[in-house]
Amino acid sequence: MNLPSPQTLLYGMLLLNTVLIARVVVFPSVTASREGKIFAFVTFFILPILCGSMAASEHIERSKQAKFCVSCHIMEPYGKSLYVDDPSYIPAQHFQNHRIPVNEACYTCHTDYALYGGLRAKLRGLRHIYIEYLGTPPSAEKIKLYTPYNNRECLHCHLGARSFEGNPIHLTLMESLKSNETSCVTSGCHDAVHDVTNQAKVKFWSPTP
Amino acid sequence: MKISEMGVERALRLSGIFLILGLSVEIVSLLWERPLAFLLFAGVGGTLTFLGIVIYLYSLLPTNHATKG
Repeated sequence: MNLPSPQTLLYGMLLLNTVLIARVVVFPSVTASREGKIFAFVTFFILPILCGSMAASEHIERSKQAKFCVSCHIMEPYGKSLYVDDPSYIPAQHFQNHRIPVNEACYTCHTDYALYGGLRAKLRGLRHIYIEYLGTPPSAEKIKLYTPYNNRECLHCHLGARSFEGNPIHLTLMESLKSNETSCVTSGCHDAVHDVTNQAKVKFWSPTP
Repeated sequence: MKISEMGVERALRLSGIFLILGLSVEIVSLLWERPLAFLLFAGVGGTLTFLGIVIYLYSLLPTNHATKG
C-alpha cells in the first residue's frame, strides 16, 4: 500500500481544518455542548497551529532547493555555473559528481555549519527577496558574499576524508585552514568558483536525459 | 453569568472566517513555488491565522460581568 506523501498529507490536513472550521462558522450552536467546545478548541486552536507549523516546515525545506534559489533571475548565472565543463570549477565539480545533494546544491555550501547558521541563511534570504522585488538588485557579476567564504563549510565534509587528508599540502596547511588564515577558495588553490564574469568563455556540460 | 451565547457565536464566526482565509492563503502559498510564496505564507496567511486564533481565545474569556457574578 502506498502511503500519501507528506505534501499530500499537509494539503489534506489544511483542507480538513478549513472544512471543520466552516462547519462551526455555519452552525456555531454546535459549540453549546461540552463535546462541541472540545471540537471547537481542536479545530480553532490545535489544528491551525499544527497545520501552520507543518506548512512553515515545508516552506523552509522548499527554500533549500537549488531550483528555488535560481528562480530569481539574478541567480541564473550561478545556477548555470554548476554545469561548467571544467573540473577546476569547485561548485560544478561538486554538483556534477554528486559530492553534494544536487537538489540542495546552493544551500549545502552557502549555509553556515554553526548554531543558528540555517536561521541566519533564511534571514539573509528574506533580505534578498526584499531587494529582488522592492530594491535595486545588482548585476549577477557584482554579487559578493557578506563575509569571506569560511573554510568551515568545506571542512564540514572534507575533514577526515581520506582523499582530503591524504594530500600532503592539506596536511601541511591544516591548522591554517582550520583557522581560516589560508582560504580554500581565495588563496590560489581552488579559486575557480562560480566565476560568472567569464561564463561566455567556458564550455558547459549537458547531462544525458 | 457567562458571556452571552450571541457574543460567543459572533466571535466564533469572525474567528472562523479569519482562520479559513488564513488557511486558504497557506494552501495557495504552498501551491506557488516562488520566493514570494513564503512572504505570502508568513505575512498574510500567518497574520490571518494568528488573528483567528486570538479572537477564538478571546471569545473563551468570561466577560467582566461574569467575573463579578
